[in-house]
Amino acid sequence: MRIVYCRHLATATSRGLRPTILQQRRITTLTPRTTEAVGFENATPKNDELSLEDWSQEHEDEISKLASKPLKDLNLTDLIRFGRPPLSPQSLLTSARSTRENLPVRLSRRIVALRNLPFIIVSNPHVSQIFNNYLHSLRSILSFPSSSLTNPLEELKFTEILTDIVKTHSNTIPTLARGFIECRRYATPAEVTSFLDQHLRERIGTRLMAEQHIALHISSTANPEEIKGADGATVELVQDGSTYIGTIDTALQPARLINSCASFVGEICEIRYGVRPQLVIDGDPDVRFPYLPVHLEYILTELLKNAFRASVEAEQTEPIRVTIAKDPYTAGISMRIRDRGGGISPEDMPNIWSYSFTTFREGEEEDALGRFNNSVASAGDGSSIAGLGYGLPLSRAYAEYFGGSLSVQSAFGWGTDVYLKLKGVEVD
Amino acid sequence: MLTKIKRPASSAIRRFTNSNYTINNNGGKVTRGVQTALATRYQSNTRWRSSTVLDDWVAKPARPISLRQLIFFGGRGLDDKRIINSANYVRTELPTRLAHRIRDMQKLPYVVVTNKHLSYVYDLYYSAFDSFRSVPHIKTTEDNDRFCTKIKAALKEHLTVIPRLAMGVLECRNLLPADELDKFMHALLRSRISRRVIAEQHLALTDTFNSPFHFNDGRNYQPGDFVGEVFLKCKAQEVIRRVGAYAQELARKAHGPDCPVPEIIIEGHLDTTFPYILSHLEYITGELLRNSIEATIEHHGSKRELPPIHVLICHAPKHVIFRVSDQGGGIPADETKDLWSFAKSKRSDDKRLRNFAKVPKMAGTLQELQEGPPELRDHEGSLSSLHTLTYRPPDLKLGMGLPLTRVYAEYWGGSLEQTSMEGYGTDMFLHIEKLGNRLEQLNVDRL
Repeated sequence: MRIVYCRHLATATSRGLRPTILQQRRITTLTPRTTEAVGFENATPKNDELSLEDWSQEHEDEISKLASKPLKDLNLTDLIRFGRPPLSPQSLLTSARSTRENLPVRLSRRIVALRNLPFIIVSNPHVSQIFNNYLHSLRSILSFPSSSLTNPLEELKFTEILTDIVKTHSNTIPTLARGFIECRRYATPAEVTSFLDQHLRERIGTRLMAEQHIALHISSTANPEEIKGADGATVELVQDGSTYIGTIDTALQPARLINSCASFVGEICEIRYGVRPQLVIDGDPDVRFPYLPVHLEYILTELLKNAFRASVEAEQTEPIRVTIAKDPYTAGISMRIRDRGGGISPEDMPNIWSYSFTTFREGEEEDALGRFNNSVASAGDGSSIAGLGYGLPLSRAYAEYFGGSLSVQSAFGWGTDVYLKLKGVEVD
Repeated sequence: MLTKIKRPASSAIRRFTNSNYTINNNGGKVTRGVQTALATRYQSNTRWRSSTVLDDWVAKPARPISLRQLIFFGGRGLDDKRIINSANYVRTELPTRLAHRIRDMQKLPYVVVTNKHLSYVYDLYYSAFDSFRSVPHIKTTEDNDRFCTKIKAALKEHLTVIPRLAMGVLECRNLLPADELDKFMHALLRSRISRRVIAEQHLALTDTFNSPFHFNDGRNYQPGDFVGEVFLKCKAQEVIRRVGAYAQELARKAHGPDCPVPEIIIEGHLDTTFPYILSHLEYITGELLRNSIEATIEHHGSKRELPPIHVLICHAPKHVIFRVSDQGGGIPADETKDLWSFAKSKRSDDKRLRNFAKVPKMAGTLQELQEGPPELRDHEGSLSSLHTLTYRPPDLKLGMGLPLTRVYAEYWGGSLEQTSMEGYGTDMFLHIEKLGNRLEQLNVDRL
């Protein structure tokens, strides 16, 4: 059973509308497991005759060439360079062309990184599935000629391809994680950590590039009622005022996001443990800054999960304190999440930033996968990697992506302080 | 003692050399005029010594000691034999450690070591080395008493080393890369702490041996509470209260009675008690609290009520952790990287140099030192340079409080780290290893 989250659609907005946070629909589809690209029933490869394997071998050199092109780093200024939506048709086409040019470079880099992994690892069915996903996505975007991006109709077709790509890759992390757990005998933890770090960081940018264009497209063209996922699910949208530029909310209020993440995480706690820790916000709760709600929401959910779980397990009644401060020198913020959950032991401290599969011992594989299955079933949000220990390193990758930082200080025997700093961007 | 040959004042040399040659970045074009000058210097130079003596001592490794050893050595009943053992340990350790530092200084660029402050320290160290290496093997308690007198004199004479070093480093900041200067300062200060620890410990043990019930200040210490300088029962909460109250009082004196001063709220494991060298703990926590108080006052200006400083005391199986959280506005990101450096500072360096000269009893004569106020004396009634640092007035900004604090914190294997939220405040985390199983971190760089 494969679960697909339409998070990406939830962030894509039409004019001034935004989805209520965490109101996504879970769609379960029964798909046959094959080693070919899975779940692509809706996407039609342009080269019908060639299998994915043959196509990739034919295009091996081209992929290498693309991968060696310079990687255009995404920064927040780039993302908002077209101004507030609705964009003019010209700007939208420029955005489409830029995406068409840069996305293949990013996809190729991932393909090259994957294909250079040891044979035995990429043969693992999960890793192989991800590898094929990337090949399929690259093929579908390459088969759309950039020269045809001259009118809105073509732009719509292109956006649909992007939507499909985003959907395909929404489950990459848990699938890769599962694959690497199964392969841990065949590579050192250091090798896999280094691969994953690079891969996940680049993935953030790749996804963002695609999602940003999709969001800009929707907010510049579609009617709200027509927003449907490619698989027929609908998404509820809520009127909010036009503070969004694509995936960026120029007036994001962290305090609001903290409260909604806390209520979500609190619910899980209540279900699992029967108690719900309290949370108090101090400092500057009214502060707002331009940022991507998706990223911040992910980070906050992970950090609050850690804080809540620690508090519950320590039977702590004191609330978790979140302090928000506006940076006086930049358009950024810093946040401190302070819990009294007993802290992190000195033995564990060096490991908190590693992808936790590195600490699995023999015989734990089944437990880990069991946890994985359980958490996937019960977690209502996109981070179905709960329990696998990816939360901290991945949150840090997100935080650092636009020049921010995430650090942890612990007083073992008392509690932990987590510091999140994010830079905003100057928006007119 | 070697007789000193008169040599030209170093300032004269400097004037002469500055106008007669240029140093380029690769280190040294020298004109003919200067060759003559150097020859003159060489003839009257007292610094070239017969190398073999120093070489012998440099070759000996230092024998580090841990806090635990310090405690157990003195704790199990002192007798003649133990005191004499202790004396002979100190007798050989002091010149060994001094020799290592002298060699370090000898390897620094000539222009740096001839700075008037650094050359003062160099000469001081060299004469201490000569003095201690010639002490014969100690066999009786009378020998030990003579030895202790010598130690006391040296400790007093060397009280001015820290500000001299700091001034010298500041004046030389353009002559050597900052991180090399930092490394040098770090090693020197760490070694200095180590020599004073073993020296003061031995003095304290001798005192206890000679008169077991001698405590002359008002505080209620039981005889077994101290093993020399190590206070077995540092009560974390009590230390913070005392040091915090003093820091608050100093702030009131400096800013005027109308200026509000932030409250210090202590929370956590309030009963935490652990063995440590009390003066070290007082210095470190004092420094952190002073910084927090100053920052809070500066950041919130004229408000009536200032946000309090929260001190957390946390007791873990192997550590004691202090967390000092203030709302003093935080430290800007671009200053954070130089926070721990001796060589770099955000404050204007000229002002720092002037301030150093004002630190009470640090640059002063022996006369001033003997007249110090009661609060500058430790539990044994003697003066220590650490106390003058701990209790200096708040408007004396030396710019090296944090780096020096860190040297002390790391001395027994602990650590000091800071995290700031710009625009809000700073959290300082002090980790202390309990019972100090760690040997002194004498040679961390070279491990």
